[in-house]
Amino acid sequence: MRRVAIVQGEYHVVNQSGVVISTLLGSCVAACLQDPVARVGGMNHFLLGEPGADAPVNPADMQRYGVHAMELLINALMKRGAQRSRLRGHLYGGANIVAGLGGIGTKNGQFARNFMQTEGIALDHSDLGGTQARKVEFMPYEGRVRATLVMDQPLPPVVRPKPMPVFQPTGELELF
Amino acid sequence: MPAASAIKVMVVDDQTSMRAMIRRTLQDLGFKDIRDKGGAVEALASIKTDRVHLVISDYNMPEMDGLEFLEAVRNDPVIGKTVFIMLTGSADKEVVQKAAALGVNNYVVKPFAPAALKEKIERVFGELV
Repeated sequence: MRRVAIVQGEYHVVNQSGVVISTLLGSCVAACLQDPVARVGGMNHFLLGEPGADAPVNPADMQRYGVHAMELLINALMKRGAQRSRLRGHLYGGANIVAGLGGIGTKNGQFARNFMQTEGIALDHSDLGGTQARKVEFMPYEGRVRATLVMDQPLPPVVRPKPMPVFQPTGELELF
Repeated sequence: MPAASAIKVMVVDDQTSMRAMIRRTLQDLGFKDIRDKGGAVEALASIKTDRVHLVISDYNMPEMDGLEFLEAVRNDPVIGKTVFIMLTGSADKEVVQKAAALGVNNYVVKPFAPAALKEKIERVFGELV
C-alpha cells in the first residue's frame, strides 16, 4: 500500500491499485473524482472557491482556489484516460472550525456543490459542513473513500463556553 | 487609453465555472460587452457574424482546441486581426510557442489571478480606463 498525502493547493491522480491519497481538512474542501471505467481517480484540496480582484498573482497561490484546483484535477484525470462525462465525485470538508470567519467553510462547500452541478459531474456523496476537521483517505483505483472526523483540533475561542459535542464515530467506507 | 466598456469580448472555455469567473473578472475591470461560449466551434461561428475586439480562449478544449481556433481566426479575412489571448496550462510551453507562431497577441498561464489577466489585456490594448 502506497500513501500520498496532499495539502492545500495540491492534487494527485492515480491509476494504479493500492494507492491511498489522504488529506486533512478544516474549512477547506477536497473533491475526490473517479472515472470508474478507466479506473483513474484523484483528489484535490482547496482553500477558497474563487479569487477576489486583489488576489495574489503567483500561480502557485491560485491553485488554492477551487475554480482552478478543480480544473487542474479534471485535466490531469483526462490526461490519464478519464472521460469527463464518466466522472463521479465525492466532496468533503467545509467545516466552520474557527468562529468569526464568516462561515468560510459553508461558502467553500457551496462553491464545491455548485461546481459539480454546473459542470454536470455526478455527486455520489458529500460530507460537508459541521465544526470538526476531517481526515479523508481515497483509493482512486478501487473507488473507495473513508472520511473520519478528527477530534484533536484546537478549539476556537468562543464567547460563551458551550458543551463539547459528543463524539460519534462516523468513519465510513464507501464505494462509488 | 481605451475604455474597457468599449471593447467587445468573447470568452471561450469548456468549463462553465471558469467562464463565469473570467466574466466576473472582466466586469470588475469595466468590460460591459462580454459573451462566452463553451467551445471554439460555436465561438468561431459567433464572432464571424457578430465581431468582437478581443477573444480570450482556453487551449485545452475538446473538438477544437485553442490553437486550431486561433489558426481559424487568423486565416479568416474578416476577423483575422482580432486580438487573441490564450489561456494555457503551466506545462504547455510548446503550446505557447505554437501560439506565438500563429500570431497570438498574448497568453495567460493557468491558474491565473485576476490581476494577471488585466496585465495581459493591458499589454495589448494599453492601460484600461
